[in-house]
Amino acid sequence: MNPIREIWQSIVRRDPLSTDKGKSELVFLNVWLHIHPAKVKRENLKFRHSFYLGFITFFLFLILITTGIALMCYYRPYPPQAYQDMKDLQFVVFMGPFLRAMHRWAAHGMVVCVFLHMCRVFYTGSYKKPRQFNWVIGVLLLLLTLGLSFTGYLLPWDQLAYWAITVGTNIGSYAPLVGGQLRELLLGGHSVGEAALLRFYVLHVAVLPSLLILLTIVHFWRVRKDGGLSRPVWKLKAEKDAQLVTIGAPTETAPLQASAASSNKTYGLMEVVTGKPIFETVTPEEEEDTVFSYPYAFVREAVTLMATVTTIMLISLFFSAPLEELANPARTPNPAKAPWYFLGLQELVSHSALLGGVVAPGLMVLALIAIPYLDRNPSRRPGERKWILWLFTFFVVANLALIVVGTFFRGPGWALVPPWVHVVGGTE
Amino acid sequence: MERRLQQVFFALSLLALALILAAAWQANTPTWKTYQRNFLQLEAQGEPNAVTKTAVLATPPEIHQVILTGLQRVDRCTTCHLGAEDPTMKNAPEPFRYHANLGPHIPSKFGCTICHGGQGLATDKNGAHGKVDFWSSPLLSRDYIRASCGRCHKEGDVPGVPELTEERRLFETQGCRGCHKLKGVGGSIGPDLTAEGANHRAPEWLEGHFLAPNAVSSGSAMPNFHFSRAQARALTYYMLSLTSEEMGSYYSSVRLIPGPEYGRQLFVEKNCIACHAMGGAGAKNGPDLLGVTTRHSPQWIDEQLVNPELVYPGSSMPAYDLEVNARKALMAFLASATVEDAQLILSRRTRALTPADVAIEAGKQDFARFGCVGCHGTELQGGVANPNAQGGEVPSLLHVSDDYTKDEVIAIIRNGRAPPLENTSGPTPPLYMPAWKTVLSDEDIHRIADYLWSKQQKKEKDSW
Repeated sequence: MNPIREIWQSIVRRDPLSTDKGKSELVFLNVWLHIHPAKVKRENLKFRHSFYLGFITFFLFLILITTGIALMCYYRPYPPQAYQDMKDLQFVVFMGPFLRAMHRWAAHGMVVCVFLHMCRVFYTGSYKKPRQFNWVIGVLLLLLTLGLSFTGYLLPWDQLAYWAITVGTNIGSYAPLVGGQLRELLLGGHSVGEAALLRFYVLHVAVLPSLLILLTIVHFWRVRKDGGLSRPVWKLKAEKDAQLVTIGAPTETAPLQASAASSNKTYGLMEVVTGKPIFETVTPEEEEDTVFSYPYAFVREAVTLMATVTTIMLISLFFSAPLEELANPARTPNPAKAPWYFLGLQELVSHSALLGGVVAPGLMVLALIAIPYLDRNPSRRPGERKWILWLFTFFVVANLALIVVGTFFRGPGWALVPPWVHVVGGTE
Repeated sequence: MERRLQQVFFALSLLALALILAAAWQANTPTWKTYQRNFLQLEAQGEPNAVTKTAVLATPPEIHQVILTGLQRVDRCTTCHLGAEDPTMKNAPEPFRYHANLGPHIPSKFGCTICHGGQGLATDKNGAHGKVDFWSSPLLSRDYIRASCGRCHKEGDVPGVPELTEERRLFETQGCRGCHKLKGVGGSIGPDLTAEGANHRAPEWLEGHFLAPNAVSSGSAMPNFHFSRAQARALTYYMLSLTSEEMGSYYSSVRLIPGPEYGRQLFVEKNCIACHAMGGAGAKNGPDLLGVTTRHSPQWIDEQLVNPELVYPGSSMPAYDLEVNARKALMAFLASATVEDAQLILSRRTRALTPADVAIEAGKQDFARFGCVGCHGTELQGGVANPNAQGGEVPSLLHVSDDYTKDEVIAIIRNGRAPPLENTSGPTPPLYMPAWKTVLSDEDIHRIADYLWSKQQKKEKDSW
């Protein structure tokens, strides 16, 4: 045998990809790819079912890890060196501005995409049995994403960062009893300072990313174990089809029992766990609906990855990441604003600190987590879950409206100022 | 479909590669490299030797920077301003021109931005000149650049900038501290000026404000002091120099060389002779100062000058705001002073010394130091405009004993007072008497009252 071929065989250990066996083995034998099934449902690949938002979010996270590690090589987390390092990135480091812009825009993009992904999952009703808990993990991932973005916001140590975090952490301190202590724990003091910068750095580069990676693994694993994405609702023919395909714990519809086959049949562990004989899980009809992951799923993922990367690069080439003056605790910008995704909260806080800063967001997070357990309606057809769709839409629109008002319509003293009116001396 | 997707993937990958190359190209062609190439060509022009010429032209581009830990800055200006220290570049076009008259202020020790302003870290023109958003100290124009001398030369004579020297004296004697705090001492009616230079107001704004406070800042409580243009310019210099920056020891020690002449000036200015004698000449309330430098160590005298109460609890000597070099100068004077010096100082006084002078002098010192003179006048004449207060101005204190007892005056100083209104329905007058009890000790307040009483003039009716 040709020695090069031999080495190649020792690495891939599979049949050529031109064979179905090879296509399956590509997935089965590869530690990175075997989070995929060997075959996926054809209609799940359709862009208009999921808009690939989960993938886009994940790819943005990959960009963030890559650029973030590169940025760590140039960053010292203590003031005022932190700010000087930003300036060095801007003026001296080769491709420094590009690197920082990519990290910044990918971070904003991730917040947006995580949110859109959540909306998609809600509108398709994909949080329903058996995916309830995966929705909860998704909500935690949303919170972690916000936490990562928020902790990263402070690191440039400029006026924008300093005051956004000051305002943001003040919102948190409105929580009764523990709010003040929580803020102090987070900041390592009573105000944003050296200790806060170090703590935010540790959270940003170590604690939160580790948690995010861990939960992402669980999130993906459960998607896989729950039979891939939920089937598009337009493919549901009967009530039975509305039930999601379950590969996992036995359920009422598929209790663990021996099939009508002969009593002396031996069952494998896999069959005991799933409650079904392996060779009966897939009907010929279903078999027609499935395609091999290679190349059908992989090529779409690859295109999504490259589309995400090029979009972020394109934006970063033309728009650099903002950097204001060195943080100055003695000079409060007016108005001092939290990061944009918390401006809805800040808007609420401006009306009532306790209600807007603690009760409303607290209830919102709890409601999000509880959605799959409160919504007992098993149907995923939009026509049969009208009111809950309207309710969710109302909350989404209200949140967005508050963010828009907070971002564009609030001027000095948090007064209502439309964006087309220029306020003189607004920074004093 | 799958084939099409593969083509899209391929195209997107090429696009990503192109974008990376574009970003790399963008990063690799900064304007400073162009400037450096032009400079090398300029240098090579006058080079007769062909080999050297090639070597000059082949110099690789690099960022030049001066790291100034003592000034907490990094200046990269010389990346483009390549001829700043090269006298042969006297007639070169900017940005390569030679910087004349640098004197001892060589860029390798001082950088550029400490005097010129701008953004030392930046490597593009607009950024470096600070004419960008979010950089609040753009290049200082030629008209105001001498204000920067005061950043290091914080006291005594500022060589070449008499305006600053003069202005500091003016600030201390005209009572600006009555309304403004400077390094913790002063009133609270106007803004604290300790870091006014770091507030990055435009010099033109400051100058306009001194000429007519209301013209640039409507509703300003600051009275129009009718400063001359030169005084307004000098005040602007002074304000710009007040940045409260931490300077490294190298820069703080070059402020001035303390000498006995400056010490003598301080000795007269602070009226030491009102308490202390020198070889018998002068008042006897404090110890005789002749030969004091041989009796005590320099550290002891220094501590005594900073805070007398630390050395002798209950000491009646006031604390003077003397900076380290002023204290050194004073000690240099004390080391060399003789009886004749004291007699000379006594003979130049306008008024003979009396035993009550101790308290009165201390009171006068407080009256000037805490800025009472700003509103009430250096001669207690009052007269600063205060719209809608009774009489429309701050009252004179020369006749205060006619209307108040000493205790009443002490109470007013302690607790402050809103001025009585001319027209009760009119607006609140901008100036008021602040409460001083948190700033001044009871002893200080009594001394000020003593000082006021020493200055009282009997009203005309007494002579009737």
